Amino acid sequence: MDALVAQLQMQYRNYTASLYQQGFLDDQFTELKKLQDDASPDFVAEVLSLFFEDCVKLIGNMARALDQTGTVDFSQVGASVHQLKGSSSSVGAKRVKGLCVTFKEYCEANNYEGCVRCLQQIDIEYKALKTKLQDMFNLEKQIVQAGGKVPQVDN
Amino acid sequence: MTVEQDCVALDQFPVGMRVLAVDDDQTCLRILESLLHRCQYHVTTTNQAQKALELLRENKNKFDLVISDVDMPDMDGFKLLELVGLEMDLPVIMLSAHSDPKYVMKGVTHGACDYLLKPVRIEELKNIWQHVVRSRFDKNRGSNNGDKKDGSGNEGVANSDQNNGRANRKRKDQYNEDEDEERDDNDDPSSQKKPRVVWTVELHKKFVAAVNQLGFEKAMPKKILDLMNVEKLTRENVASHLQKFRLYLKRISGNQQAIMANSDLHFLQMSNGLDGFHHRPIPAGSGQFHGGAAAAAGMRPFPPNGILGRLNTPSGIGGVRSLSSSPSSGMFLQNPTDLGKFHHVSSLPLNHIDGGNILQGLPMPLEFDQLQTNNNKSIIPGNSMAAFPSFPSTQQSSLPNNNSHLVLQGHPQASPSAFPGHQINKRLEHWSNAVSSSSSTLPPPPAQNSNSIMSHQFDDGSSSYSIPFCDSTIPLAPAMDTNPRAFYRTTDLDSNANVQPGGVYYDSLQMRQSGNYGPTTDALLSSNAKEGFIVGQQKLQSGFMGAEAGSLDDIVNSTMKQEQSQGDLSEGDLGYGGFSSLRTCL
Repeated sequence: MDALVAQLQMQYRNYTASLYQQGFLDDQFTELKKLQDDASPDFVAEVLSLFFEDCVKLIGNMARALDQTGTVDFSQVGASVHQLKGSSSSVGAKRVKGLCVTFKEYCEANNYEGCVRCLQQIDIEYKALKTKLQDMFNLEKQIVQAGGKVPQVDN
Repeated sequence: MTVEQDCVALDQFPVGMRVLAVDDDQTCLRILESLLHRCQYHVTTTNQAQKALELLRENKNKFDLVISDVDMPDMDGFKLLELVGLEMDLPVIMLSAHSDPKYVMKGVTHGACDYLLKPVRIEELKNIWQHVVRSRFDKNRGSNNGDKKDGSGNEGVANSDQNNGRANRKRKDQYNEDEDEERDDNDDPSSQKKPRVVWTVELHKKFVAAVNQLGFEKAMPKKILDLMNVEKLTRENVASHLQKFRLYLKRISGNQQAIMANSDLHFLQMSNGLDGFHHRPIPAGSGQFHGGAAAAAGMRPFPPNGILGRLNTPSGIGGVRSLSSSPSSGMFLQNPTDLGKFHHVSSLPLNHIDGGNILQGLPMPLEFDQLQTNNNKSIIPGNSMAAFPSFPSTQQSSLPNNNSHLVLQGHPQASPSAFPGHQINKRLEHWSNAVSSSSSTLPPPPAQNSNSIMSHQFDDGSSSYSIPFCDSTIPLAPAMDTNPRAFYRTTDLDSNANVQPGGVYYDSLQMRQSGNYGPTTDALLSSNAKEGFIVGQQKLQSGFMGAEAGSLDDIVNSTMKQEQSQGDLSEGDLGYGGFSSLRTCL
């Protein structure tokens, strides 16, 4: 059992570290983890779920705004991007946030193609992050189930 | 005190500070909520600005601070910011992913006390409580200035706690320690309230003796102060009194008659704020004149001395004063023998004049009646005084309440508090004017004398109505309510909504603290600066309240109790400060 726990923990550590290294996550995510305690043991998972919900909603808004026959209301797109930027930065979704910054610039420049490209990228990015985090959470569960403690990985 | 209290309060204060967080982004809201919880604040969240406004409007005292996102679909964050600032006067912190300085500027111009960028870090949130304290502190400071200057309502009552608390405390100490208090409304306009000093007969005697010793022309406040050797009397107190004294002398020098028996008392009355009300020759037959009213009007807390029973004696006011002053105030007294008449002056009115509560005391109405029927044809009907006789029943309406904040809370007993004295003064004036032909020498009673304690402003409806000791006319009620102890009448007074500057937070602390009635009251009073409450009044009120009970003796007793409780309250000032801190802490 212990060996298993140790192994899982090792796996977890490596995996999480790679997420930071690859830029999926940043310090804000670490901060978020600090807020998790016994009183709210699933805090991080909760918040990330909310975040992904927001992603779906906002990306949908952006897509709709961009997919208009006629003039595209870039400010509307921009508003959604702005919000996504806020929430992604709050959860530590580094790549998504980076994309939002670029996306915003395109919106301000009324660059339709640029916006569409960004939108696509963001879509891919948040889904990738979702998958990665899912794996991470699974590892955590396994560790706990194996009787171990989830190691602290601060990047 | 304030400082200590603040420190104490602050130790607890940030903990439990009530924050309302508004953000349409659920992710951010959830994180914010968690961060705030980490800081040990009490958090309420909503993702709609409209809902936030509702929550805030529902109970203005429910929150200490608002944190709001800038971009929200149902309402612009800046708009919300403005509304909150206007309606609730709470500190608002803006939150946004926009780092653009122009947004920050917009936040500032719309009144935000801070602007945070997302992602918010916990370190930033750990210090946001400073905005609550600062806002209250500023309000307090503002209100102090206001009070000091004209006794009219102050803004931002909430913060008055600190400064007022300090002032209150001092005041309480003064009350407790000796009767020598002086009320200097116009002394030096510092931002802190100064303890009021009442120039009692004893004190005045000393003063006069010192002046005589130094030579009237050469008498300087500092020297007088040294000679008088009275604790807690400041040079400013003496200087102000000296000034009044000199003016008085000038005034009476042309009027022998006026000076007569009353001179000493007269001066004291005047110096205590009865300017313009001056002479009242007290005709022997005017026993009915309760003078007490006049006395009450202008007299400050008079040492409780069983005189109360003598309300009915003539020249109530003058009488009281003359009691002890006759022998020594040679300078003023031209007719010592007349003073004897005043022996009976009831101290009752004097004691509680400030609140006018005394007047409200049961005895008063009777006296007024007599006064009216017998002597006061000139009594001004317009005066609420006229209503006085019926005082017990309904005073408020009768009281000309120039200050809307005044007690007129519909509290029969409460209302007169500030006014009665005032009214009585006027009545006395009229009475004496009517009676004495020499009244012409005196300036018209209703002279708006912002300097006089018993200013007639009351009648004039000036906002600077000032009852001795009172800075403003806020009904003490609120304070009383919160502080069960000292006030007899707590329940009677309606508490102004204003009483609650900060809201619950403070309140709870206050309650905890209050053993001291005084402080609380003061605090409340101060906090009602906006309303312009009468700090001193409070004290009186409490005493007064007791007085209502009925006989003069009761009144005396209550006065005494008041003095006592005042002593207890000495910490009250701290309490006041504490009060405020309580409010924030809560």
